Amino acid sequence: MSFESSAPPADPRAADLRPEGVTAANACAIKLPVFEGPLDLLLHLIRLNEVDVTDLPIAEIAQQYGEYVSLMHELDLDVAGEYLLMAATLAWIKSRMLLPPSGDGEEAEGADPRAELVARLLEYQRYKEAAEQLGERTLEGRDVFAAQAPEAEPLPDDERPLAVSLVALLEAFRRVLAKSGGTGRHEVTGEPVHVRDRMLVVMDALGRFESIEFERIFELESDGPPTRRLLIATFLAVLELVRLAAVRVYQGLSDAGVPDGPIRLRRAEGPGADEWSAAVADIT
Amino acid sequence: MDRDSQKRIVEALVLGAPEPVTAQKIADVVPGLEVEDARALVAELGREYEEQGRAFEIWEVAGGYQLRTRPEYASYLRLLHRERPLRLSRAALETLAVVAYRQPVTRAEIEAVRGVEVDAVMRSLLERQLVRIAGHREVPGRPMLYATTKRFLEVFGLGRLDDLPTLREMEELLPPPGSDGGGPPPPLGAAAEPEEDDGGGEAPLELH
Repeated sequence: MSFESSAPPADPRAADLRPEGVTAANACAIKLPVFEGPLDLLLHLIRLNEVDVTDLPIAEIAQQYGEYVSLMHELDLDVAGEYLLMAATLAWIKSRMLLPPSGDGEEAEGADPRAELVARLLEYQRYKEAAEQLGERTLEGRDVFAAQAPEAEPLPDDERPLAVSLVALLEAFRRVLAKSGGTGRHEVTGEPVHVRDRMLVVMDALGRFESIEFERIFELESDGPPTRRLLIATFLAVLELVRLAAVRVYQGLSDAGVPDGPIRLRRAEGPGADEWSAAVADIT
Repeated sequence: MDRDSQKRIVEALVLGAPEPVTAQKIADVVPGLEVEDARALVAELGREYEEQGRAFEIWEVAGGYQLRTRPEYASYLRLLHRERPLRLSRAALETLAVVAYRQPVTRAEIEAVRGVEVDAVMRSLLERQLVRIAGHREVPGRPMLYATTKRFLEVFGLGRLDDLPTLREMEELLPPPGSDGGGPPPPLGAAAEPEEDDGGGEAPLELH
């Protein structure tokens, strides 16, 4: 392959930041650091060329930027659209720089076409540094481990995942609707409520509490009395989360083995709980 | 109850609490103990552990106290824990940094700062309960607002959000005007007021 010579000098970080899938066998030839996006790549080029960020040699930087992006293409790295967008921005700035400064005072004389990009770069750099500082802290779960008793709320023996949940669940939901005072009259006002939003709200709440009573779910994050629309969206969100195995719904059993008592929701253990949000993204 | 018995109860509370326990909570639980006493006893316990060379120490995180193993034993504990050890990618850390310093913040705002999409990484941060939904912004589309969680404070060992180091000012990132790099540092005596160093342990000055 010939791109090696055209590639800018290797970054010292390269060894640590090899993209996944780059094996030791070909890694020595590639030495392409992985960047957190176009701004990160630009900061890298600025550091590499030892240029002043406020006085960017745009033509040079744009060219090197382009080389990196085509290299990433050649390597079949997933070049996200934002890299290409930045390439276009650089080309635009470059063309603006080539224009002679307009004589008529109509266009602001001092407006540097690079100004906005420079501001974004500096802003990004602040957070990049803050992120590095965060990563260097002593992290619980990585560097230190807490002596922490698990929350003392074992699952009562008589609670089991509800086998035939739907009837009991629908019945409970009907009670919620009735309690909300909904007359069944058509509601005209109100903003759209997305099931996806309510799924996030429910999962967020289940992250904070071990378990939540079914009827309380409908009171989460609603200002004022919940609308029928919100109630329905929330109910659909619960059903969807159950389907995704992210949430389990429980109801206590009476002595006779009949479902009895309040229905409760709980975050499910296992892979379902970790994959729920991937599914959320697909539903709108 | 004598002070020593109280101290042992405090020790038990810090050890056995399901989450960082506040001085107030300790005072509520231990008869005849004021909040100030609780703090003093916790500090005393901390010194004891240090003197005795124990493998753990007391941290003040998320507004409360917590016993944690000392960092030098991390490698052993990682082997012990069945779950994968905490790993935060650069993408996760950068996203967390924006959320932490700008909260409450929308996804679009985070993406504007980082210049990349943050959908996947936000989901992972939500799942790990480092970030939470903090309502909606009342603008068209009602975008969701994100904020950090108590768990975030715990993981990063912060007592409260204010304990985050201040974000560097833009001006500091720019080269000093009129210098081609490496101008003389300001003389030591020149600083009008000493910067308040609440970071501790950084030992800013060491003259030999």
